Amino acid sequence: MNPERPPVPLPHPTGPLTGYRVLDLADEKGQLGTRLLAELGADVIKIEPPRDGDPTRQHAPFFRNEAGAETSLFWWTMNAGKRSITLQLKLEAGRQLFHRLVAHSDIVVETTIPGEAAALGLDYASIERANPGAILVSITGFGQDGPYARWHATDIVGAAMGGLMYLNGDPERGPVRTTVPQAYTQVNVQAMVGALIALYARPLNGGRGQHVDVSMQEAVANTMDNAQQTWDIRRVNASGPGLHRNTAGVRTARYLFETADGWVAALQAGGLIGQQANAIIDWLAENGEARGLDSPEWRQKLTSLQPLTPEDRQYVEETMAAFCRTRKKEDLVAEAQRRGAGWAPVFSPREIVESKQLAARNYWTRVTHHDLGETFIYPGAPFRLSATPWMQRGRAPHIGEHNEEVYCGLLGLDSQELRRLRLRMVI
Amino acid sequence: MPESSYEPVRKPFEGIRVADFAWVGVGPLVSKYLADHGAEVIRIESTTYPETLRRVGPFVDDVPNIDGSGYFANFNSSKLGVSVNLKHPKGPDLVRRLLARCDVVTESFTPGTMARFGLDYESIRGVRPDIIMISMPLYGQDGPWAHYAGYGHVLQAAAGFNHFTGWEDGPPLGTGVAYTDFLVPHFAAIALIAALDYRRRTGEGQYIDFSQFEAAIHGLWTAILDWTINGHEQTRLGNHDLEAAPHNAYRCRDGRWVVIACETEKHWEGLKAALGRPEWCDMERMRRRWQRINEQKEIDRHLTFWFEDFTRLPTEAAFQVEEGVEGPPVRKYTTEEVVRLFQSFGVPCGIVQSPEEMHADPQLAHRHHYWKLEHPVMGLRTYDAPSFKLSLTPGELTRPAPLLGQHNEYVFKQIVGLTDDEYVDLLADGAFD
Repeated sequence: MNPERPPVPLPHPTGPLTGYRVLDLADEKGQLGTRLLAELGADVIKIEPPRDGDPTRQHAPFFRNEAGAETSLFWWTMNAGKRSITLQLKLEAGRQLFHRLVAHSDIVVETTIPGEAAALGLDYASIERANPGAILVSITGFGQDGPYARWHATDIVGAAMGGLMYLNGDPERGPVRTTVPQAYTQVNVQAMVGALIALYARPLNGGRGQHVDVSMQEAVANTMDNAQQTWDIRRVNASGPGLHRNTAGVRTARYLFETADGWVAALQAGGLIGQQANAIIDWLAENGEARGLDSPEWRQKLTSLQPLTPEDRQYVEETMAAFCRTRKKEDLVAEAQRRGAGWAPVFSPREIVESKQLAARNYWTRVTHHDLGETFIYPGAPFRLSATPWMQRGRAPHIGEHNEEVYCGLLGLDSQELRRLRLRMVI
Repeated sequence: MPESSYEPVRKPFEGIRVADFAWVGVGPLVSKYLADHGAEVIRIESTTYPETLRRVGPFVDDVPNIDGSGYFANFNSSKLGVSVNLKHPKGPDLVRRLLARCDVVTESFTPGTMARFGLDYESIRGVRPDIIMISMPLYGQDGPWAHYAGYGHVLQAAAGFNHFTGWEDGPPLGTGVAYTDFLVPHFAAIALIAALDYRRRTGEGQYIDFSQFEAAIHGLWTAILDWTINGHEQTRLGNHDLEAAPHNAYRCRDGRWVVIACETEKHWEGLKAALGRPEWCDMERMRRRWQRINEQKEIDRHLTFWFEDFTRLPTEAAFQVEEGVEGPPVRKYTTEEVVRLFQSFGVPCGIVQSPEEMHADPQLAHRHHYWKLEHPVMGLRTYDAPSFKLSLTPGELTRPAPLLGQHNEYVFKQIVGLTDDEYVDLLADGAFD
């Protein structure tokens, strides 16, 4: 293999999913998930509309802020390691070709609004006819049926209708969405769990495939911690606690504190409240900053597990806030951990990339973009399998980069036919 | 079709047995997938050190009860439960005998804990050569943070989610939940099921070193590449978005919030039509998406006014005469009506639903999302089901969460093969404490 010009994608003969093929027609709700399958060895073929390619290629940010079909960092992040072909499903000839591909595939992932799939040959009846063993994964905002099935949904709609946004935010300013889209992230990864369960069920059931119907709203509903059970059992609605934490519907002690260089996350006012509080009280006392919390009365109160009065709690929180404000977050975290308290720093993307833990674990991978003559740092393995390792498989494909490979190599078309399809705008 | 050709559908993980040592959120949510799809999952606990979530509410009548936590229950549907004292001289051996009859081992202890009981991967492989074992601590098996303590509430800070939650001009906020606890289990389940599939084809088991931190970073969308490639650090934007405007939550007359996201020209045209094309939205500087992103504060101001002026309480009349304004009565909308109106014009929008509203949501009810299971201590309670419906082999929550040690007798007699006498002796001796 020429290291200057590695193949795209890199071969992955030792993945746990090597030998399976996935057709990816997904938008933001499915591209991360199918990428994970590629990194586990599956041959993932991204199917794009001819000419302009997939609409998600237009997503910012762009490489050096230059917008273009091949420079979207969204595209790079979500589609690394896949192959790309162009195919027009709005044409009958395109749908025929697509169904020939389905006959060679195990999983098909699509994200059209319910009711729109049939016109593109993407409905389960058509997929099953083309290949009874195929698994069709349909990822939508609300699922294939029900009163909201045809509603339009983006990430923030999923976060709102799925209940997570209500739990998130601040009593004064209202609910807030996490800016990096988590409704999309959730539905991506949960859909792939469903796809793999269906794949595992296939040989048990005579090789029959099935339809996996995934709802973004339900995926988000499953991230509500214990809020749903808290409503069910206590009839209390948990809501956005700001810098504090919700415990079974009760807004409890503050857990985010500003430091000299950022913020730390430290539950129970940094551990000043709870059975192990003495270790943290001692720490503050050794530095002369316990503000009286090291008295026997306070120690008894803080370790008793009885709720504090609001005034007492505020005094404790202020004591911790003052202690943190003059110190650096990584020093605070290291010392708190040494004393048995589970603190963590609030990291930004830069600080994550510079993390010592991730460096020691050799987490980051370098990806060669031979088309640009450069190599970039990408996130590494989300899981480390000893016998069938995860593998980053190189950069994301260009529009239709693998047309010849797939249409000629896999379906056996000749170059004449390929040219004809291109002229007719089928590919 | 003749009756004889009917073959009953087999559940995906029928015949798979899982020993689940994991605790709190991440591990139990991984094995819940397996249990709800047919695996026999055995939670291995201890009465001496009960699992943390058993001690965290909500509890019925607010009375703490080791068998009464709704938090624990939801993550442990369809599972069996045993208690073993690993510090009893016979404890580890009992567990090893059970593991010889298992296909999967899951755990999320601090690295080294399983080895101390002689239950590390190499030892388990000695009794079960094709075992698949997954370890899921916060930070992985090695590195300077490998022994760091914590929960999902603080891991989300290290993994960037607090940085990305809150308003642009304000501090990082929590996500209100232990967010990574509900993100990384899906990654772990993907790895585990892929490994099971590989084992079925090759007979080969393996070990999975899973770091919650390392998986969570894949949930940061484009933020990592934007830094490593462009040197640009993304940050929290309140309810705004890098690429869409308007994109925010607006308060209705009844105090509830509605979100709107206009990502495309079609969404924006739909919103204009739904609002009745007020003058401000046809201004030249609102024409293109990037212009609207620049003008989003002004758009927010207009929409905030619109929501104040045109929403109503359910008890108020749909047509109201404006005080001091000439003309016919004006149509006002309830929060539900606003969402239906905008959706009918193709605008992505929805209500910020509370847990109570989720409970009553007609879509979730239609999808049978929440399951009701009768629990011996807690009564009829709500459990989450998978977000996917499999047409041939749907998930099924077969039983409520186990009581602590509820299935000791079944597991140690039927599966491990202890005689009645052996079982009673060990019980009396404290091996199942």
